[in-house]
Amino acid sequence: MSRRRFDLDDLWPRFGRVAVIAAAVLWTVPFIWMIVSAFRPSDQGAAAMASLIPDYRPTLDNFREAWADANFPLYYLNTTIMVAGILAVQIVTMSLAAYAFARVKFPGRTVFFYLFLAQLMLVPIALLVPNLATVARLGLYDTLLGVMAPYFATAFGTFLMRQAFRTIPTELEEAAVLDGARWWHLIRYIYLPLSKPALIAFAIVSVSAHWNEFLWPLMVINSPDNRPLTVGLAMFTMGAEGAQAWGVNAAGTFLVIAPLLICFALFQRRFINSFVTSGLK
Amino acid sequence: MSNRLLSMSALAVAACLTTFGAAQAATNIEMFFPVPVDGQLARDMGTLVKKFNDTHPDIVVTPVFTGSYDDTLIKTNAATKAGKPPAAVIMSANFLTDLVIEGQIQPFDDLIKASGKTDDEFMGQFFKALHPNAVINGNVYGVPFQNSTPLLYYNKEQFKEAGLDPEHPPKTWQELIVAAQKLTKRDGERVTRWGITMPSSYDYCGWLLEALTMSNGGRWFNEDYGGEVYYNAPSTLGAVTFWSDLANKFKVHPTGEQKAPGVSTAFLAGQTAMMVLSTGSLTHVRKNAKFPFGVAFVPSNVRNAVPIGGASLVQPKGLDAEKRKAGWTLITWLTAPEQSGWWSRATGYFAPNKGAYALPDMKEFLAKNPEAKIALEQLEYAKPWFATYKTLAVRKAIEDQMQAVLSGKVEPKQAVETAQKNADEIMRPYVERTALKLPAMN
Repeated sequence: MSRRRFDLDDLWPRFGRVAVIAAAVLWTVPFIWMIVSAFRPSDQGAAAMASLIPDYRPTLDNFREAWADANFPLYYLNTTIMVAGILAVQIVTMSLAAYAFARVKFPGRTVFFYLFLAQLMLVPIALLVPNLATVARLGLYDTLLGVMAPYFATAFGTFLMRQAFRTIPTELEEAAVLDGARWWHLIRYIYLPLSKPALIAFAIVSVSAHWNEFLWPLMVINSPDNRPLTVGLAMFTMGAEGAQAWGVNAAGTFLVIAPLLICFALFQRRFINSFVTSGLK
Repeated sequence: MSNRLLSMSALAVAACLTTFGAAQAATNIEMFFPVPVDGQLARDMGTLVKKFNDTHPDIVVTPVFTGSYDDTLIKTNAATKAGKPPAAVIMSANFLTDLVIEGQIQPFDDLIKASGKTDDEFMGQFFKALHPNAVINGNVYGVPFQNSTPLLYYNKEQFKEAGLDPEHPPKTWQELIVAAQKLTKRDGERVTRWGITMPSSYDYCGWLLEALTMSNGGRWFNEDYGGEVYYNAPSTLGAVTFWSDLANKFKVHPTGEQKAPGVSTAFLAGQTAMMVLSTGSLTHVRKNAKFPFGVAFVPSNVRNAVPIGGASLVQPKGLDAEKRKAGWTLITWLTAPEQSGWWSRATGYFAPNKGAYALPDMKEFLAKNPEAKIALEQLEYAKPWFATYKTLAVRKAIEDQMQAVLSGKVEPKQAVETAQKNADEIMRPYVERTALKLPAMN
């Protein structure tokens, strides 16, 4: 009896591990393909294009051509300003809103909260024209600020932070109030520091979503000087009538996602640590 | 944190100021353009616009890359509704009818008149096959910029190897099947080389099916009225069945949806011996093919006929007079013989302006690249491109069915019936306020 149970206990985690590894392998295939083709010499022709295994002397030609096709340093700067700007404003607006929804008692709080959440249901593409009209009226057409503006308030972030704030015991807040803390002290010194895991999780979602966004920046931006990476990359990945240069596409894609990858690799331990050390000690 | 925020907004404000500050001396206009083939052409477009700016000191054009043809439509709509219409847009030629119905673009007739020409004299510079997609209800709404027809590309080396005459590519559907069967190579159950591949991704699928239908004697749509398509007609059913037979019966064409970039890649890799693709891919194929290749008319069943493709320059409504005029200067310059010929040689599209072919550069080019002439010869049999009310959705109605047929999920007969029903449903609002709006007596 006990022997049998031991076997099962032993087997399940193993089975899970195999499944996870299989999924991970599946997910990495396009990524590996991108790296392999980015370094493939173009004289290998399209014949070798589908191969996952490098069978050539690697070349940097594709990167050279991709780099020449688009003004990458400027696009990096634009995208960085964009995602950092969005995140910075979002953190302020969502923590204030989340505090109100989690701790401040006012009539209709729940209704307002659900109304706020309803935003999540809207398909972004439906807001394309009205948002652009607003942005144009504010004089922000063809500016990075115009790209950022619609994201300054975030329903998802507010929801996430509200849930995080609600798990923090009110005793902490009461103790702080006794010591003379005002509401902004509470947010700054109690709620935010204790919600770090949620903050970091949100930052990852926000940064990667806006880093990769294409359609909205394409709508707002006209000047080549204001283009973010995705729009710049699309210049040579979107052939309207057929032909494509795979190696250059792959190299360009690699250049676009590299900073995110490096960031994640560098801060991976801190990300995971902060998830683990959540809650109260 | 707040410091960083401050510097960030300062930067953004500075960015706004520089954008606005530049707009004084000359007329600043924007031109929206999709990228026709690859990055090289985006740079070529930059070169072309720079040349314009250098020779026209009173106008400054910013070329704005706007993604695919479909994205370009979305961006033009959004920008126009937001009160920021561009002065010129390179727009897929089959969107024009719908844009006119929706009242989003304006005709050029007054500008043509001001230049001392009649509409007929102005349009007379361009090949006749291009007129129906540019002149709508008697008004000139588009100026042809880059145009194409579908072509049969074939690998001459593989023709020889299969015992076919590389100088006599298939002309009829019958000959096409015979050739494709000889060219298809099998390794047991696995096919190592297809006889023929035709792209069936959105946009291409509808265009090629229209080509097959027309070469089967059909009309596909009512070129005089934007509320009718002939999906459930014998000529269309024949075309759908033929494409389906290539894949499902004769097994000389891969099953399932074929994406256009994948098709040209397969052809260049020798994995398909023939393909049907736009003339717009000619330069890319010429640069990358490691074997002698030929091009020919799209094989026919009843008659030689293909739809045109490509894009025209249009102007949205809501432009002020000065920008409109500057945009018109740009449009006439871009479509003049010299630029038209240059762009044709860079891309593979044929030059819509007939005058381009009288220039020495073009004569020399055609002598060196005789395959570029085929597209021109086929032009004589070209017909207008499918354009209706809500073109995109009506096109998808049959594309979804064709893709299902190629995957073996739907029978051709049922496919054309469903496509017709869905298309009629989409066009109904327009039909009800036009053809079915009858005088009521009481």
